[in-house]
Amino acid sequence: MPTLIIDNQSVTVPEGTNVLEAAQQLGIVVPHFCYHEALGAVGACRVCAMLFIDGPVKGMQMSCMVEAKDGMVVSTEAPEAVAYRSQVIEWLMLNHPHDCPVCDEGGECQLQDMTVASGHSVRRYSGKKRTYQNQDLGPFIAHEMNRCIQCYRCVRTYQDYCGGTDYGVLGANQRLYFGRFRDGPLESPFAGNLVDICPTGVLTNKPYRFTSRFWDLQEALSVCPHCSLGCAVIPGARFRELQRVRAGVNPEVNGWFICDRGRFGYDYVNHPDRPRTPLLHGEELPWSEALEALQQRLSELIDRHGSDSIALLGSGRASLESNYLLRRLGEQLGTAAPVYGSHAARDRAARAVTDLAAKLSASLAEVRSSDLLLVMGADPLAEGPMLALAIRQAVRNGGRVMLCDPRPVELPCSAEHLPCQPQELPQLLRILAAGENLPANLQPLADALQQAKRPVLIGGSDLLGAEGSAALLAAAQKLNSAERPCRTMILLPETNSFGAALLAGDGPDFDQLLNDMDSGRIKALLCLEADPLTDCPDRKRLLQGLEQLEFLAVLDHLPSLTAKKADLLLPTTAVAEGAGTLVNNEGRMQAFAQVFSPGEPLRFTGQGGHPPRNFSSTTPGALPCQAWAVLAELCGLPVNLAEIRRELAAKEPRLAGLPELSAEGPGQRVLPGNGASSSVPPAVATADESLQLLVCETLYGSEPLSALSAPLDPVCPHPYVLLQELDAARLGIAADDLVQLTAGGQQLALPARLSSRMAEGLVIVPRLRGTELESFYPGQPPLPCRVEKVSTP
Amino acid sequence: MNDLLLTGLLMLIKLGMILAVLLTMAAYLVLAERKLLARMQRRYGPNRVGFGGMLQPLADLIKLLTKEDFLPAQADKWLFLLAPGLAAVTALLAFAVVPFAPPLELFGRQLPMVVCDLNVGILYFFGLSSLAVYGVALGGWASNSKYALLGALRAMGQMLSYELAMGLSIVPVILMARSFSLTEIVQAQASLPFALTNPLAFGIFFIAALAESKRTPFDLPEAENELVAGFHTEYSGMRFGLFFVGEYLNLVVLGAIITSLFLGGWHGPLLPPIIWFLGKVLAVAFVFIWIRGTLPRLRYDQLMAFGWKALLPLALVNLLATGGILLWLGGAS
Amino acid sequence: MNLWRDIKGTFQPFWITLRYLFKRPVTISYPEQKRTLPPRYRARMILTRDPDGEERCVACHLCSAACPVDCISMQAAERADGRRHAAWFRINFARCIYCGLCAEACPTLAIQMSSEYELGNRDLLKLVWEKEDLLVDHGGKDPDYHFYRHTGIGVVAPRGGNNDELPPVDIKTNLP
Repeated sequence: MPTLIIDNQSVTVPEGTNVLEAAQQLGIVVPHFCYHEALGAVGACRVCAMLFIDGPVKGMQMSCMVEAKDGMVVSTEAPEAVAYRSQVIEWLMLNHPHDCPVCDEGGECQLQDMTVASGHSVRRYSGKKRTYQNQDLGPFIAHEMNRCIQCYRCVRTYQDYCGGTDYGVLGANQRLYFGRFRDGPLESPFAGNLVDICPTGVLTNKPYRFTSRFWDLQEALSVCPHCSLGCAVIPGARFRELQRVRAGVNPEVNGWFICDRGRFGYDYVNHPDRPRTPLLHGEELPWSEALEALQQRLSELIDRHGSDSIALLGSGRASLESNYLLRRLGEQLGTAAPVYGSHAARDRAARAVTDLAAKLSASLAEVRSSDLLLVMGADPLAEGPMLALAIRQAVRNGGRVMLCDPRPVELPCSAEHLPCQPQELPQLLRILAAGENLPANLQPLADALQQAKRPVLIGGSDLLGAEGSAALLAAAQKLNSAERPCRTMILLPETNSFGAALLAGDGPDFDQLLNDMDSGRIKALLCLEADPLTDCPDRKRLLQGLEQLEFLAVLDHLPSLTAKKADLLLPTTAVAEGAGTLVNNEGRMQAFAQVFSPGEPLRFTGQGGHPPRNFSSTTPGALPCQAWAVLAELCGLPVNLAEIRRELAAKEPRLAGLPELSAEGPGQRVLPGNGASSSVPPAVATADESLQLLVCETLYGSEPLSALSAPLDPVCPHPYVLLQELDAARLGIAADDLVQLTAGGQQLALPARLSSRMAEGLVIVPRLRGTELESFYPGQPPLPCRVEKVSTP
Repeated sequence: MNDLLLTGLLMLIKLGMILAVLLTMAAYLVLAERKLLARMQRRYGPNRVGFGGMLQPLADLIKLLTKEDFLPAQADKWLFLLAPGLAAVTALLAFAVVPFAPPLELFGRQLPMVVCDLNVGILYFFGLSSLAVYGVALGGWASNSKYALLGALRAMGQMLSYELAMGLSIVPVILMARSFSLTEIVQAQASLPFALTNPLAFGIFFIAALAESKRTPFDLPEAENELVAGFHTEYSGMRFGLFFVGEYLNLVVLGAIITSLFLGGWHGPLLPPIIWFLGKVLAVAFVFIWIRGTLPRLRYDQLMAFGWKALLPLALVNLLATGGILLWLGGAS
Repeated sequence: MNLWRDIKGTFQPFWITLRYLFKRPVTISYPEQKRTLPPRYRARMILTRDPDGEERCVACHLCSAACPVDCISMQAAERADGRRHAAWFRINFARCIYCGLCAEACPTLAIQMSSEYELGNRDLLKLVWEKEDLLVDHGGKDPDYHFYRHTGIGVVAPRGGNNDELPPVDIKTNLP
């Protein structure tokens, strides 16, 4: 622990810290461009210069390149250091264009800040400025190369951190160029981080282009709702419109970066079809009357059919507080416990994960520092993209990745792929849990596990199911020991699946609800931010059940199918418009703060031109209420989030610490469960010879919120069917052929794609919302199917 | 019976005339003050309503009457509503003892040109002027506003301090006139006004009267640059108007009292007595306005120090000296 | 203590105010009499045009950031040629305090102050002015300034085509 003196202040820092970080710990603002907490130091930009007066090194040094040592005396304010830095800024500004007013970075530009801070205001050099041609980098990133100051941050982020290969530095000498070999969209799903990382306006956010200035945005610390990892994000809104999302910092979860799905999937908040007024049978009515109607209908049905006739449906999309208040409402009405999740198999899997002793679960930070990652039936890029990035960091640190998956899982790093059938996965895990010998073809895996010091078992709840997840947990428990900690990370389907499953406990699942609806016992259904019509795999039965209902009430902020069928629709707020808590897949409670109040975006009310010229004391479209507040009102509780959190923490001992949670900070783990369900499930019969249809999620297009986001439209894949090359050859199918897929009573004509890396005997389709593939559901056992060639293109 | 009716009728006419003249004077004094102050500052003053702004008081009245009568949420309602009336009524009542002309011979009877010639008129006047502070104090307290309360406290402190000096400065006058009745005091000045025979008493009384009327340089209770508007910060509409009317009525009444006590009342050569009386009152009012246009406001501690350390001893000395001289003269006569 | 000075200081002002009482007022009776404004008097703002006759405003939001009373709002948009401009630009003159900070902040010289000061109105909505109301057809006090000729991002000239720019570099050359 070296102690050094910076600007007459003494600071003690851990071994290996550089002087720049030490100075930042003292609260000294050190100008820097190339240094970044996540990327480290390269000493390229020369603006963090400090004068080293005493100690092992002396003279003018780049503070990011000098390791803090005992006895160092450093000055950031020495006249030589100040002059040095301002000269460097002046050089950097030699070729920088005079275009801050039309640059989107203006206001949050590090170069701007440093230039102003250094006092540089007049260009003394009279030579001409260097210029470049720009490139079209796709729908997310705008390129303006003239503004570049050659700090290399983008290349280090894109190539080193994110594993992208299609963007880099070209040219030589005074002609350094940061771009692609030729125009075209950036391929990495983490390309959006270039926007955050670029210290000037070379790489800016294209959907956000010319929309707002940083200082005009309403921003707050929030949590990304687009997968179960719960990355920290900072959404920015202006004129009642969510306009962009930038990465927040949570060292335990996402670090400094987020994926493009989280960054560009925000537009569902501004969706023009979003429910914005309470509707009773399609008629608008004020909130007070809507709540009265709801209470009246419910009590009427309870009087007539008993409290058993009311069913409540929560979801993994709703916050912990609103899901809890739904249960509380059920207790008050005397109904059965709410069902959490419209997809029974996914719900069961999530509950299996929730049972895990939370001390076994790995955070993304632990994944990043692991030395062996066993990815069993998880597709990180599709189910939790930042996990893929965390895996890459583990590999960069010398870790090893082994993939057991029937799908051709892509990772932004090297990985050993061991194709296997979906039903083999639980089997495999069972063997691991029992401590038996693995089959011969998986010998490398056994060896690797033997040598690993900090292995992490990664699974996906969709492919593993409840049994597989339980087996994975059992395996981790078996492998875990004091000298060799073994952790698990299981990807869940929705952002708050963990929280919802934790509240569900031993409650009923959606299959039981379907049975009750079939029997006609259920007369009313109240859905909390749930869309069973899209998510329930048994849509036919559900539709029949819904027909028999007398009353369907929906609280939601999405224009969902269920919302359209609702008798009573109560508009709620999206994550950015409210406050609450989400529990991510590792059991980390994370509070999010309200970014802005709901309202119809000015872009719509003004129709692109100037806003309407009239006075009004009401905000158009401002009626959506936070779901927890609506439910608290229905329960007759005070509408006070802190009080609800206190009550919830008292009722659910595992959620202790919830009342102290704040949107700042890394969040807090829920307390460990009893781990009761780690009993090893029985083996499943192997499937027959015919082709099996496996439905899986994709990076874009599967997740319900981002599927409604316009900026992601250009990258959403078109429907396709994926076949193993050998199977395809057997069936006489070539790539891009149109094939007919027959499964589950449906016939679809889709273009074929081929892969050599997937398991044989499988047919894979992505579940793409809003396409014909929406009627296939992930998280189900594979369906027997038939594939026939229709035509060649 | 007929006689009584006639007396009553004459009394009513007299009262009505006095009331009309007083209120009109108060209203036009506002205008006169604004115009004079403006001219002293090389401005025009109000000149939009009517010829040369002559209808400005009417416009102000309409404005004040049509404005919202605002009652602060936390105010003491009844005291708040009562206070402005108290301020205006005490000023009006004080005029009852002021003789403005010699008694008139009308229908064969003596009609005194005073509402009520009390034999303790001076004491009555002092009683009412002490009551007037209640209007200010209650208004400031009932507003439940820190500015109003501070203004009210200042007003009370100031009035207490100056009433003493004021009272003491009058004792020599009473000694000289040998009466408490204002009419008799005026009669005693038929030859020479007391302002000349006892200028020190006149000076003390004049300064104390300035302080009593809360005018510059003693306008601390409503010092607008510290206390927003002092005791009437929370008042609006006609209630504020009543404070305003009370203030200018007070100006007239003090002018009349000063005229009666020191300037010889209606006595004067050539012109009819009522003109002399009005002229003297207006002259006093002009001097008040002139002072407002010229002198800055005192600091509160200066005000107190001046009252207690300068005016009060001076008044006492003056009382002793006048008494001594009168004894000596009385002994001689 | 200089008693004589104090007495003089108390009574001399009375003479001055009395003298002033009889002097002619210096007031200019505004609606009837109007004073001649200095030529560079700064009252309400205008939006000027560049030498090509295009709007100078690039909707950079600096004026709305500088505005101490938040009376300016706007939305930027991009034209087909990449030019940034204001889709709408609104100023609420009912709120404006005519401080001129917007003109000072304006990096493109689009906002300048004109000498028009008579904006009084009884209808507040008539005091909300849009871009069309503010645009004038001249360049104001600096008619030759053209922001995009100096920006170096190739909107009015091809990239690298402005006077103070080199042609775009050839990144594929190996020459030193």
